[in-house]
Amino acid sequence: MILPLLKGLALTLRRFLNPKTCATELYPEERPKLSTRFRGLPELQIGKDGREKCVACGLCAKVCPSQCISIEGAEDETHRRYPKTYELDAFRCIFCGFCEEACPVRAIILRDTFELATYEKKDVFDKEKLLDLTRKRNLPR
Amino acid sequence: MNIVQLVIDDKPISAPEGTNVFHAAMNNGIYIPGLCYHPKLSQFGGCRLCFVEITERKRTGHRFACAHPVSEGMVVKVNTPRVVRYRKSVMEYLLAHHELSCPTCDKSGECGLQNITYELNLAPGRFRTVRMHYPVIRDNPVLELNRNRCVLCGRCVSTCKEIEGLSAIDFQNRGFKTVVGTAFDRPLECSFCGGCVAVCPTGAWQDRTLGFRGRAWEFTSTPTICPYCSVGCTVVVDTKAGNVRRIVSNDRLGINEGNLCVKGRFGHEFIHSPERLKTPLIRRNGEFSPATWNDALDYVSKRFQEIIQKYGGTSIGGIGSERCTNEDNYLFQKFCRAVLGTNVIDNISNMKSPYLNRLIYQSVVNGIATPFLRELEQANTLFFFGADVTEAHPVIGSMARKAIRLNNANLVIANVRDVQFNSNAKNDVRLFYTLGSQIILINALMKVIIEEGLVDEKKAEAATNHFHELCSALNMVTVSEASQQTGVPEETIRNAARILAKPGRCHIICGKDIEEDPSGEVAVKALLNLCALLNILGNNEDKRASVLFSRSHNNSQGVNDMGVVPEFLPGYLDLNDASHRERVKKIWGRKLPEHVVKEDSVNVIDLMLNGKVKALYVIGENPVMTYPYGKDVREACKKLDFLVVQDAFLTETAQMADVVLPTAIFAEKEGTFTNMGMTVQRLNRALQPAGEARQDWEILCELAKKMGYSFSYLSVKEVLQEIGSLSPIYAGIQYDRLKRKEFRWISSFYDKNPRAPYTFEIIRPPSAAIVKRKDFPYLLLTGASLNHHGSFSRHAKALIAIAPECFVEISRKVAQDAGILNGDTVTIESLQNKIKLKVKVTDRIPEGIVFIPEDYEWVPVNLLRNKIYTPVKIYKETE
Repeated sequence: MILPLLKGLALTLRRFLNPKTCATELYPEERPKLSTRFRGLPELQIGKDGREKCVACGLCAKVCPSQCISIEGAEDETHRRYPKTYELDAFRCIFCGFCEEACPVRAIILRDTFELATYEKKDVFDKEKLLDLTRKRNLPR
Repeated sequence: MNIVQLVIDDKPISAPEGTNVFHAAMNNGIYIPGLCYHPKLSQFGGCRLCFVEITERKRTGHRFACAHPVSEGMVVKVNTPRVVRYRKSVMEYLLAHHELSCPTCDKSGECGLQNITYELNLAPGRFRTVRMHYPVIRDNPVLELNRNRCVLCGRCVSTCKEIEGLSAIDFQNRGFKTVVGTAFDRPLECSFCGGCVAVCPTGAWQDRTLGFRGRAWEFTSTPTICPYCSVGCTVVVDTKAGNVRRIVSNDRLGINEGNLCVKGRFGHEFIHSPERLKTPLIRRNGEFSPATWNDALDYVSKRFQEIIQKYGGTSIGGIGSERCTNEDNYLFQKFCRAVLGTNVIDNISNMKSPYLNRLIYQSVVNGIATPFLRELEQANTLFFFGADVTEAHPVIGSMARKAIRLNNANLVIANVRDVQFNSNAKNDVRLFYTLGSQIILINALMKVIIEEGLVDEKKAEAATNHFHELCSALNMVTVSEASQQTGVPEETIRNAARILAKPGRCHIICGKDIEEDPSGEVAVKALLNLCALLNILGNNEDKRASVLFSRSHNNSQGVNDMGVVPEFLPGYLDLNDASHRERVKKIWGRKLPEHVVKEDSVNVIDLMLNGKVKALYVIGENPVMTYPYGKDVREACKKLDFLVVQDAFLTETAQMADVVLPTAIFAEKEGTFTNMGMTVQRLNRALQPAGEARQDWEILCELAKKMGYSFSYLSVKEVLQEIGSLSPIYAGIQYDRLKRKEFRWISSFYDKNPRAPYTFEIIRPPSAAIVKRKDFPYLLLTGASLNHHGSFSRHAKALIAIAPECFVEISRKVAQDAGILNGDTVTIESLQNKIKLKVKVTDRIPEGIVFIPEDYEWVPVNLLRNKIYTPVKIYKETE
């Protein structure tokens, strides 16, 4: 009876000591490896002209099951439709990815941002914050 | 009209003969897809989507529902496989060159094309898509035309032609290149009614005041009543996040069948104007400083009590509002009469024409007044007398055009100016009389009717009083003399009289030019004579004539109904009648002030001028700019000890006030408005009042409480109940029922009282009040303007963009003589004052007259005027 237990412990010990098979992640010293299908915080994408891709169609806000997105559309001087405000309440977001699916211009994508802890109780991501996530990503490393 | 039985989709329905299948189905809740048919427009048959299978006289075939009339025993199938296949292929063609920019198109969510695509479950089409790349036309502040989204249904073209009578847009080119546009692609020159936006099934026409600020599914829609003119159109206020985003129309609600004018549809930006008053203001050491409600109302009540103690209650005057609700005005007059103890209350419309209330009430008793406005659509003859409907009441114009289109109505227009009214009436007679000769013209029309034997004299004598006297009085006038005096050719007068005497319903629309004329009282009486004469014409029973008195503001009728006039209690109860006073005393529990103003000519402003009124309480009105005699009112306001103004904006009157109380505007209010057809319609609240603003009735209740008389109303419903119990004409009104059905006090009046026989009053034209002066050669005429009205429109960005400046219209001859060109800035000087305005040279006004619209409220036109026709001169100032 004791033998199988020791056998099992031996396997555990072998795996534990081998750095290649060890499951422990050294977060935050090491970044975790995320799957490509990981759904983190929705991020607003930037178009070729350096502005947000979003056209304020409101479909993401409509489809959002937790109703965390609110958009105020407006018309700019070139008569383009753009979001004057784009607010995403990260506390309410359930990271379902429906907004990404609904978006007709691929302006919102759920990438790998998952570190959302804040000191402020009410922390709504506004348009600039959401764009900054993408901007940082585009910076040369 | 015969009723036909037919079956649509296994549902037996009945429809009047002559209706088309589409309409019959729609009225019975059966859906047939279609983009081009609209019930208020003539059929076009352009979209080919309403294809249905019809079995008629044992033959089955396929027809277009909008172009096929119903017949007895017809069997219609809307969704057979073949029909659906056809419809799908039509949609494929339509979508093959559609822009498909739904994400950025404001129509998305309420788009006909989108809906049908969704219903038919269309997959990407079989055809090569060919996109069009027309530039988007944005050459005006309110409308945007994106022809890449157009499906050429022709609804906008028909609306512009049939409802607005303008034909500003039409189809251009042929075949694939067909587009909708203006002649020679010039910038759109129209009345900007926005009818094209309302009927467009796709996003081709857009409302630019929306400016991508919301999507169709995000809005909360609240139907309410337009705050501008007295037609009382129902507008639907679309709000998002407590903010008005746009105003749309609904074809099924109210009296206007979805027709609006530029003010109603696009003039909504004043609601969130930064210039709105948000807190009460008290003047301290000459400067306004914000105050709390409690402080402001305490101060007002303290000052009022001081003045009452010092000079008595009658030294306080009140000016009611033509824009506030009936409930506000009722409580206002109750506050003035019961709390302040004064009868010196009035409203601007009554000050302009103090006889009108009496005459309207008289005509109601005689059964010749004021049709329900929708009845204008069934008219056979329309007579616009001194009324510029296109500018003042554009939706009345749309109703008239409907009568002309469907009923072949005849049209007679009498005016000093050549007012614009486009229609395709077969009989369209225009009488351009010289200023001041309107009474002669009316008498001449009556003379022709009697002289040519168009009236059955025996019947007339039986039905009315003093008909003989009228005939003998009219014997004195001859038509040729009248023709000379009025400047209208004799044959035209005769022709007009014959048209008026034609059988069928005749509606006379009495305009502002008549009502506010110096000889207005006599002219209105003469018009009532004419109407009574037309009413007894011929043998045919359905000949009914009526006079519709045009009122200027949304509740100009209501404010008078509510008794914000010196001589009447609510419901035109004579104040001098002791029994009425007793009855009111019983309900209010307070004695009414004895002091009664008897003279018409003495109004609040006059009393202020001669120092009898020391304090004034103004709600929702700007008398400094709207009272006809600018100099008087400015002097009078300066003489006051204490002025309280209750308004939504810091108007010119409010700037002179000691206390300004901010109020809610129409979208933030509950209550009722009475339009010029005496229809009481209910407002619905769409928003919370801006800042600390309150509804007028709430302020009045609070103030009354502070002055020691409790107004214990919890809602406007209770106020309306009291109005119903007090005033006989509003008896039976119920606030809850108004949501479903509007209330017309005239109808309930006739249920109780039979129509009294009319007594003709012999009208002799008064000696002309025209003083001709060599140094001031022209006469000033003021009137309505389409783009502005009251003190709201001046804060609406879109309206300011359309009509930024006031102008003076002068005739070509005058312009040539004085060397003035179109667009020059000139000085208009009268004995009283002078102002500078831009010139519009036009052929539409006669020589010797200059016309200034008075609705540009920031322009002090009233400074120029005196009590009769004002002589003015025009010159270009050399710099």
